Amino acid sequence: MITDLAGVREPERAVPPQRDLPVDFADQLLQHGYGPFFGTPCGVLAPLLTALEDRTGLLTIPREDNAVGVAAGASLAGRTPVVLMQNSGLGQSVNALASLVVPYRIPMLLIVSLRGHAPDTTQENLGMGRLTEPILAELGIPTERLTRERDLGALMEWADDRIRHSRGTAAVLIGPAAFGWQVAA
Amino acid sequence: MNKTAAVQRVIDVFTDEPIVFTTGYSCRIANHIADRANHFYMTGSMGLAASFGIGVALGTGRTAVVVDGDGSLTMNPVGLLVAGSLPELPLIHVVLDDGEYASTGGQRVPSARVDLGSWARDAGYRRSLFAVEADEFEAILRAEAADCRGPVFIHCLLRGEDDPVPGRISVDLADHALAFASHIAS
Repeated sequence: MITDLAGVREPERAVPPQRDLPVDFADQLLQHGYGPFFGTPCGVLAPLLTALEDRTGLLTIPREDNAVGVAAGASLAGRTPVVLMQNSGLGQSVNALASLVVPYRIPMLLIVSLRGHAPDTTQENLGMGRLTEPILAELGIPTERLTRERDLGALMEWADDRIRHSRGTAAVLIGPAAFGWQVAA
Repeated sequence: MNKTAAVQRVIDVFTDEPIVFTTGYSCRIANHIADRANHFYMTGSMGLAASFGIGVALGTGRTAVVVDGDGSLTMNPVGLLVAGSLPELPLIHVVLDDGEYASTGGQRVPSARVDLGSWARDAGYRRSLFAVEADEFEAILRAEAADCRGPVFIHCLLRGEDDPVPGRISVDLADHALAFASHIAS
């Protein structure tokens, strides 16, 4: 019997504990002094929005360009704000970024989900799916992808370099599968 | 009271508190009257002055002033909803209402049948006030400056010809943002 139990336990010990990526990312953001957090509606980001809400509070803004505007004010007031949005809302925010955040050089972190990327096949999201990275590239906003395999420490170092040390804006892109989003849900 | 007189009164009352001036003529007039470190000139991003001011007030926890226009407010009224949802937010939101998009050629703003003050009231602002005369406007500003414990909306109805419009903001925008941030931090 004892041998059998040991045999059952052994494989469990060999598998590392399941990583809860949105929770770990939220913890990293807080440890690195980011905030306040401005959220807009997004199913892909929902687990991260919940994790942030549980830990520090989240101000929900009804439209993404307004979230960028509020974050810009908070940034010049000495904070390191984060705007969380779906990439559809990046389309809504292009002018706020192009005429306010970029020319005034206002530091903030954008966390942008990638609807329209696999496994998302919804037709209405394919356009912004294609446009998200080109738009950010043309705006001069550097991007990094958060995946399940990504080293969060290295990602935070990348963000700190651009936002805190260089007073710039940077965007972390999050594909639909990273937090377990499914097209059927 | 014309737009220049209204901007003058705001500048007279708030010499230290951050003031956000909306795109178009308001920021140009303010810059011409007195270019102070507590001024933020939003030269583009029409419709976002209130949102930006909300962020400043949230970030500092101290009074911030927004000089908005009827055109910019109606282009994006979401800032009203956000400020109204924050009953403790120390925000003084002034709207200078001339009924037109002055800096783009004077087209009429389709707001003649709208009561902007009731938008703010219904959104949850602590107070929504209305001013036509300059002295009356200044008295309201001074009273609110002394006791700002929640978002206040001041609908300022402009009348009469405006003064000649000053030139565009010519300062480097990144330098301007840094100077504004330094003032807030000081």
